Amino acid sequence: MCRSRLRDGEEEPVLDVAKRAVDAATAAGADYADARAGRDETESLTVRNQEMEGIDRLTSSGVGIRVLVAGRWGFAATARTDAEEIERAAALAVEQARAASLLPADPVELSPVEPVTDHWHGPCQEDPFDVPLEEKVALLMEASRRMQQVRGTTFASGVLDFYRRRTCFASTDGAAIDQTVTHSGGGIEATAIADGQVQRRSFPNSFRGHLAGAGYEHVRSLGLLSESERTAHEAVDLLTAPSCPDEVTTLVLDSGQMELQVHESVGHAVELDRVLGMEAAYAGTSFVSPGDRGRLRYASPLVSITADASLRGGLGSFAYDDEGVAAHRTPILVDGVFQEFISSRETAPAIGEASNGTMRADGWSNLPLIRMTNISLEPGQGSLADIIGDTKDGIYMATNKSWSIDDKRVNFQFGCEIAWRIRNGVIAEPLRDPTYAGITTEFWNSCDAVAGPEEWTVWGTPNCGKGQPGQVARVGHGTSPARFRNVRAGVR
Amino acid sequence: MPGAIGRDAFLEIVGPALELDRVDGVEALLLHSWSANTRFASSQIHQSTAREDTSLRIRIVRDGRIGVAETNEVTRDGAVAAARSAREMTDAVGSDPAFPGLAPVAPIPEPAPLDTTTAEASPAYRAETVAAVVDRCGAGMHAAGAYETGAIELGLANTEGQVCWAPHTQAALNVVVTGPNGGSGFAEAIAPGIDGVDGAAAGARAAGKAGASADPQPIDPGTYEVVLEPAATSTLVDFLGFIGFGGRSLLEGESCLSGKKDTQVAAPSISIVDDATDPGTIGAPFDFEGVPKRKLDLIRDGVFRQGAYDRRTAKQAGTVSTGHGLPAPNPDGPLPLHLCLEPGSSTVEEMIAATERGLLVTRFHYTNVVNAIASTITGMTRDGTFLIENGRVVGPVANLRFTQSILEALRDTSLVGTRAELSGEFFFGVSRVPALKIDRFTFSS
Repeated sequence: MCRSRLRDGEEEPVLDVAKRAVDAATAAGADYADARAGRDETESLTVRNQEMEGIDRLTSSGVGIRVLVAGRWGFAATARTDAEEIERAAALAVEQARAASLLPADPVELSPVEPVTDHWHGPCQEDPFDVPLEEKVALLMEASRRMQQVRGTTFASGVLDFYRRRTCFASTDGAAIDQTVTHSGGGIEATAIADGQVQRRSFPNSFRGHLAGAGYEHVRSLGLLSESERTAHEAVDLLTAPSCPDEVTTLVLDSGQMELQVHESVGHAVELDRVLGMEAAYAGTSFVSPGDRGRLRYASPLVSITADASLRGGLGSFAYDDEGVAAHRTPILVDGVFQEFISSRETAPAIGEASNGTMRADGWSNLPLIRMTNISLEPGQGSLADIIGDTKDGIYMATNKSWSIDDKRVNFQFGCEIAWRIRNGVIAEPLRDPTYAGITTEFWNSCDAVAGPEEWTVWGTPNCGKGQPGQVARVGHGTSPARFRNVRAGVR
Repeated sequence: MPGAIGRDAFLEIVGPALELDRVDGVEALLLHSWSANTRFASSQIHQSTAREDTSLRIRIVRDGRIGVAETNEVTRDGAVAAARSAREMTDAVGSDPAFPGLAPVAPIPEPAPLDTTTAEASPAYRAETVAAVVDRCGAGMHAAGAYETGAIELGLANTEGQVCWAPHTQAALNVVVTGPNGGSGFAEAIAPGIDGVDGAAAGARAAGKAGASADPQPIDPGTYEVVLEPAATSTLVDFLGFIGFGGRSLLEGESCLSGKKDTQVAAPSISIVDDATDPGTIGAPFDFEGVPKRKLDLIRDGVFRQGAYDRRTAKQAGTVSTGHGLPAPNPDGPLPLHLCLEPGSSTVEEMIAATERGLLVTRFHYTNVVNAIASTITGMTRDGTFLIENGRVVGPVANLRFTQSILEALRDTSLVGTRAELSGEFFFGVSRVPALKIDRFTFSS
C-alpha cells in the first residue's frame, strides 16, 4: 500500500496540527484562517556512465498558517509544530496581515466553498519508496551501459525521482482534509560531444524524464532499457546533421514539446491572478482579459484545452486544492474560443465566479497561488503518422531543449533537441539545433491538425516557477502531436 | 523573529551524527533561513508572508560509497536518523573512484555578528518602505513588486575536523511601475542590510521610466547598438556563470569556454571576478563542502583565466578546489555564485551619447539558453526599452526578443559603466555589474 511515511514509523496527528494552528490564529485575532500541516518526502537517483552521481533523500515537514484580518492576508510558516511555536507563528501571521493595512485596498472577499471532511490518496500501485534501492540503481546502470555501447556516446545518464506529499488542511470554515499524492518517474539521456558541438537526446522526455501521479509501476512502463540504444544513436547522429534552416515552414511538434507549448502559451496566460496584476512585477501579466471570455478566438477550431485536476496520473491531480476547493474540470478553450480562467477563492469574485480550485502552494512553507492543475490539449483524430503523411514539406521537432516567452505570454521561442525534415509525407534527414518562434494567438490559430487519443500522453512538469518568494509547482499536461502552418523555424 | 541557532547549538545537534558507526566519514551541512516578504500589486499590499525553515544535509562516506539524506527535523535524533538513512544508501551503490574525500581543516574567517536590524525587520517596516514606493507613483500609475528581508545561517562540520559557520542577512526590493498607455518601468535595490534599500528612490526611478515609456512604438528586429543598464547586464553575466565558468562543464567540453584558457574571449575592458569576500556582495566565505572561497579572476582584461572548481572537479583537473562546491550530491558540478563585472569609466549618459542608432534596455525577461556551446541565449526586453538616435534617447519602443551569443556581446562591448550594482536575475542569484555599451546585439523578433 502506498501511504505517507511518518517520522520513526509513528502515526503523527498531522491534521490535528492544522486544526490547532487554525484555533491559534483565531485566538490571535484572525477573521478567517486556514492551515496546512504537511510532510514532503523525496528520493532522487542519478547515474552517469555507469557510476552513481547522486543519491539522496529529503524529508521536510511543518505548518503554514494563512489568515485574513480586516480583509488583508497574512501568512507565516514554521517547521516546528509544538504548541508554543504554533502560537508564535499564528500571531506573526496576524501581525503580517495588520501591517498590510498601511496601504489602502479593497478588502479580500472569498468565494463560497462547502467545507468538507475527507481523506484521499492519489493513485499508486507500487510504493516507490519500498522498491529496493539496488533495483533502481541496477535499472539506471543497465540503461547507461546500453547507451555507452553506442560508438560516439560521450555521456550516458539516467535519473529516477520519487515524491510524496501529505497535506492536512483545516480552516475556520470547518474543513478537515487529509490528502497524499505520490509521483514517480525518470528518464535517460545520451550526450555526444565532438568538434566543438554538444548534442543531447532524452527519453521519454527532457529535464528528468517523464513523471506521473503514480507509483513505481509508472517507471516499469517507461521502457527505459528498450529505448536506450536508439536514444544514443540519435544523439551521435545529430553531430553530423545539418542545422535547422531559418525559414517559414509547416511545423509538426511531438507530444513532449506540445506539453511545454501548452504550458507556456496557454496555461500561464489563463491564470486569473496574473490577469488581475498580482504577478506583474515578477512572472508578468497576461494578454488575456476578463472580457475575452466567450469571445477571444485564441486558436483554430481544432483546439480545445481543458484544466482538469481530477485527471488520473497527472502531477496536477488532487482531490482538493490548498483552499479546500474540490478538484474541477474547467474548459479553457472550446473549439478554439477562450472560455474560462483558472482561479482562486480571492480572484474568482472579480469576474463574478466561484473558485474553480487551482490554489496550490510549494509545500507547507509557502502561500498558495493559482497554479496550473493538468492543462491538456484535447485529442483530435488520427495518428502522428497520418499528420506526417499529410505534410508535403515541413519540419518535425521533438523534445524540448529551451524555452522563453514574454511577460504577457505573447512572443515565444522554443528550442528542441532534434528535428527531421518532412518531404512528401515522409520523415527525411535529422536537423540539429532546431528552434521556432511565434506569437501566441497567431500560432494557435495556425493549427490544422491534432493527433488522436492513441497519441495522447499525460506529461509531468515538476518545475513550474512562480511567485515571490519563488515557488515550484508540479503540473500536468495531456497532449498529442499537432501541426502548425507558416511558422518561423531556425531562429538563431 | 525566530531565533538564530548559533554555531555551538549546531555542533551540539550534529555531534552524534558525526560519530555514527560503520562509516568512514560524515559531513553535516546546515542551512537555517528565516525571511519575510511584503508583496504588492496595483499599489496595494496583497501578500504579507513570513517563513522559517532549516535543512540539515548529512553526507556519509563508507568504503568509497556515498549517500546523502536531508531532513528539517533539526534535532540530535533527526540528524542521526538522516545519517542512518544516508548510510543505508551506501549499501546500494558502488564505490566512487572520483570522490576526493571530505574537506580537510582550513581556516575560515570569523563571521561578523548577525545584523539583527535586518533579520528582525518587521512587516510594518516593510510596509512603510512599500508605501514610499507607491508614494512616488504619479497619476494613473500603479506599483507592483516585493520587499523581502531575512537571514541565513550556514554551517558545516565534518569528521576531518573542518567546522564552518557564517550568518548573513539580505534585503531585496524590486519594483515595476505601470503607467498610462503602456508605460512600464523597473527598479531594484539589493543589499546586505535594510540600510541599503531606499524605497522612495526605487519608486521614483521606476515611475520615471514608466512615464517615459508610454506609447511604445514597434521597431523592426535586427542588429542594433545597445546600452544595457545593470539589470540587463546581469542577465549576460549570470548566464555566462551558469554555462561557462563551472569546472565540470569546462572539463567535459560542454562550456562555451572549454579549451579557451588564456584566450581573448571578450573586449579588453571586460574583467569578471567571483569574490564572496567582497563586502559589496552577499553570502558566506566558504562553500557547501566547507572549502574557503577564493577570489577568482575568471576573465581578466578580456582573457579567460580560470574556472570555478569544487573538490571533485579540482581533483579531475589536477588543481585545488576554489571553494565553489554546491550541496552534495551535486551532479551539475561547481558554479560561481558571487559574480562581479568590474566597473569601467563611462557613464550611461556617455554611452547614450556614443550611440548612433541603438536601444537602451532596462532589463530582460525570461531568458534561457538556446545553445550553450555557442553561449547563445534568448529572452525579451521588459519595463523600459528606448530608441537612441544620434546620441539621444528619442522615445520608447515595444519590447523585442533578443537571440544573442554572450561571448560575442562581450567581445563587441565598447564601453563599461562606472558604477556596479547588485542585481538579481530571474533564474539565478545576485551579481554585481555595471551598464554596458555593446556595438552589435541581435534582436530576432
